[in-house]
Amino acid sequence: MLKNYIKIALRNLWKDKTFSILNLVGLSTAFAVAVLLGMYAFFELSYDGFHQNNASLYQVYSTEQTPEGIVSSVPKSVPFTPALQEEVPGIAQSTRVNGKGVLVIAGDKELRMSAAYVDPDFFSMFSFPVLRGVETQPTKDLSTVTLTEHAAERIFGKESALGKTLRVITEGEEKLFTVNAITADFPDQSSIKFDLALDFSNQASFSYASIKDDWSKENHEVFVQLEQGVTPQQFEQATAPFTQLHYKEDLEAAKRDGAQPDQNGNYKQIRLLPFQDRAYANFDYGIAHVDKAMPYLVLGVGFLILFIACVNFINMSIAKSTQRLREIGMRKTLGAGKAQLFFQFWGESIFIFLGAAILGGALAAAFSDSFKTLFSTRATFEAVFSIKVLLGFILVFMVITLIAGGYPALLLSKLGTLQSLKGKLNLTRKNRVRDVLMVIQFGIAILLISGTFVLWQQIDFMRNKNLGYNKEQVISIPLNGKRSDAQVMQLLRNKLQAYPEILDITASNNSLGLGRDGSSRTSQMGFEYKGRMVTTHILMVDYDYPETLDMELVAGRSFKRDYASDSLAVLINEQMAAQLQEKNPLETRFIMDDSVAYNVVGVLKDYNFQKLNTSVAPLTLFLKPDWNMHYAYIKVAPNKAATALPLLEKVWGEIEPKADFLGSFLDENVDRTFKAEKRMATMITSGSILAIILSCIGLFAISLLIVAQRKKEIGVRKVVGASVLRITLMLSTDFLKLVAVGFAIAVPLAWWFAHNWLQGYASHITLNIWIFIAAGAAALLIALLTISFRTIRAASQNPVRSLRTE
Amino acid sequence: MLLQLNHIYKWVKQGGKRVFLLNDISLQVEEGEFISIMGPSGSGKSTLLNVIGMLDEFQEGEYNFLDESVHTLKEKHRSKLYKEYIGFVFQAYHLIDELTVYENIETPLLYKNVKSSERKALVADMLDRFNIVGKKDLFPSQLSGGQQQLVGIARALIAKPKLILADEPTGNLNSKQGEEIMQLFKELNQEGVTIIQATHSEANAEYGNRIIHLLDGSKTKA
Repeated sequence: MLKNYIKIALRNLWKDKTFSILNLVGLSTAFAVAVLLGMYAFFELSYDGFHQNNASLYQVYSTEQTPEGIVSSVPKSVPFTPALQEEVPGIAQSTRVNGKGVLVIAGDKELRMSAAYVDPDFFSMFSFPVLRGVETQPTKDLSTVTLTEHAAERIFGKESALGKTLRVITEGEEKLFTVNAITADFPDQSSIKFDLALDFSNQASFSYASIKDDWSKENHEVFVQLEQGVTPQQFEQATAPFTQLHYKEDLEAAKRDGAQPDQNGNYKQIRLLPFQDRAYANFDYGIAHVDKAMPYLVLGVGFLILFIACVNFINMSIAKSTQRLREIGMRKTLGAGKAQLFFQFWGESIFIFLGAAILGGALAAAFSDSFKTLFSTRATFEAVFSIKVLLGFILVFMVITLIAGGYPALLLSKLGTLQSLKGKLNLTRKNRVRDVLMVIQFGIAILLISGTFVLWQQIDFMRNKNLGYNKEQVISIPLNGKRSDAQVMQLLRNKLQAYPEILDITASNNSLGLGRDGSSRTSQMGFEYKGRMVTTHILMVDYDYPETLDMELVAGRSFKRDYASDSLAVLINEQMAAQLQEKNPLETRFIMDDSVAYNVVGVLKDYNFQKLNTSVAPLTLFLKPDWNMHYAYIKVAPNKAATALPLLEKVWGEIEPKADFLGSFLDENVDRTFKAEKRMATMITSGSILAIILSCIGLFAISLLIVAQRKKEIGVRKVVGASVLRITLMLSTDFLKLVAVGFAIAVPLAWWFAHNWLQGYASHITLNIWIFIAAGAAALLIALLTISFRTIRAASQNPVRSLRTE
Repeated sequence: MLLQLNHIYKWVKQGGKRVFLLNDISLQVEEGEFISIMGPSGSGKSTLLNVIGMLDEFQEGEYNFLDESVHTLKEKHRSKLYKEYIGFVFQAYHLIDELTVYENIETPLLYKNVKSSERKALVADMLDRFNIVGKKDLFPSQLSGGQQQLVGIARALIAKPKLILADEPTGNLNSKQGEEIMQLFKELNQEGVTIIQATHSEANAEYGNRIIHLLDGSKTKA
């Protein structure tokens, strides 16, 4: 019996080669894409999932009530964690973590690496297993360092690293350490990344010793593991006395400034974020907001594509069934029951689906490397593979096969014996199902196409937006060498003087856009001004900063070398000026850092110093040429852009021979900040292209069948005098109506999604109905082209031929 | 007695009026009979055969098949009944195009869950009997009409039915092929199989030992 079914299934597939190939191509492509997108989404969703203690691990952050609203802050001060563990019950273990880029020197090797400064509990809280060396609290001994396997190999090569020494330079201070443990390399989905781990107190005195008892300098993150049975809510409530005790002044200031307390009457609340949510948390709007929309969106696109392919399959199977009516009828007269027929046809579907799944899996494996490059993801099958995921895939596969294969099988098995024997079938009811499915199919395609348009327009808009500084001519170089930053700047200035194409040089302690070093930071501070709290972003700059970057001054002057008093001068932006609420902001003096008074000498026109999806915040620029600068900025002559980078690399090599040159133009750096948007755009674009292609495969197949079914009608119409055009039109309108309905359903949805997405951007394009009309028109045109292949041919055929077949 | 029809009525509504396809048909068929149903196109021959074959329903009347009252049976039981006792032969053969001669003949046995070894023996016997052993691996499209009908009859006989229903079995054949098929039916009948055939042709009808004339769904006296 089974053999008989398999035989007939294969022969049927072989007989209808066109359909089998269309089905197989469509389904296997969809499977491949769904597998790849699924892999990506599961990878993105599996961040930090590998820690065994996840259920009780939390990141500590706090929210403060301010007159402007609720503000959250993640960094904590050095004395915070020991006090918290001491005073608030419920903490089993805790660790402070400060990640820093450091210079590691071992023998003649000089490497830029990322260090994690942690407390001893770190390795017992998180699952970073020690492979060799001291297993418990490996960093507790202050003279030791723990390396990851990967880092150990980078530093010491194949030799065993245990017991070897290395020197670490952080923020200008150098220390010697002995390697006493090697940990396993952690998965790519770890949000805590490090090459080496050191005890927290080994940080430079600037970051640790000198602020050991200072509650106001907040510079690192804090993680806790709660005791068993303690809920985060209980813990958060229990921190009230702690907050009252240590943040008394802040609370009073908030009360005085008119902030509204939260529902518990608190002005400051210490909160816990489940550690596993850390990679998805957004602290921009007060209480941490966990957002996993992006991976789910990708998963959604994968499902939509799978859905479209399944619709094709269903429609083709039903349409094709008319050709098998006699077989169904005959089988019934020979004694086949409904169930037997159902399993026969379902089995055929399983056959195709299995083939498509295998082919799709192979395709996915073959293309996984290009996929990883295209979407710059490190997702791999191995990273997301687990029995659960495999079972999930099998389940999804079964459900899809059951529905997409079972629905046509059910329809066919229910047909009446005599009716099917005669080959006549009233298809009206089933056509409605087909029509609905095709409407959804085209709706999805139009939705994705409009999404593509909106995304690219917004990216284009951001890329071409005037950010308030010159990004085309300025190169930024991360200062990652061994020399002190001021020294490097001096050397750069001296060496570059000779070149006419170098126009200006300056430095600051923060990047514009995202440099090739891939790091960005924010520093903010608040101070009292005329009895109010004022908060501002702060930036340390060298001389010539506004000049190098072509920033516009709306009032006052820039820093000048001839004015000795400028060491206490600041520049502020318009937002800051507005916040100070002074008629003439140039007269303003404010006191920061206890007693130092700063003079405002100029007001800069607002420029985008942060990511482009945020609006410009208040900013104050301090003149600190000797500060720890992180980036040099060099403006080059307009036509020398091409030669400037090699020149700078050469000069850099002379100054810092062992440090990588990571200079890049600012416009590249800005582009890098919307990598996420670009990735999303690429993904949705590929999704929509695929959706359109698959929809068209389905449409093509249906048009083949419809034309075949209406052959006689076409012949009769031609005999009575219809023109080729009339017939083509008649055959096409039915399909075009479906596209139109799909359009009508998709546009409001697309509008809603696009509108919501754009709300996340402080400045964004305005949605235009033409975007959607263009998407609809594109879908319509492609649909028309697809069906015209068959319709025109059918319409121009000699009617005698089609009538003779009767 | 094999089957008995009592006052069977079957109609369809057309513009609010009943159009009778079968009008008060009563018929009694004994085992071993060979009945020919004659009548012009549209007289109800095929409908009557379909009703007897339980492929079609009727609105009024009683139908007893081997002491089972068919009109009260559920579809499932009915299907069991005809699977067991009735074989069909069609004008257009209705072989399954994707199956070979061998597989076509084998199919009814599959639905009766006959064991594989037994199936092989039965099909081999049948191929032998109809002299089509050499054609067993061919597909229907590779056979002549007469050969296809031969396969059709072989398939109808494979499950050893008590009754063969043949709807214009020679309609698509030339006269020589037709004659051979009718001769075959006659032999089968002599072996004890009950046959009811619908036909246009007087000559074919003469093979039967009883002729029923139909006109507009009613029995007429010839």
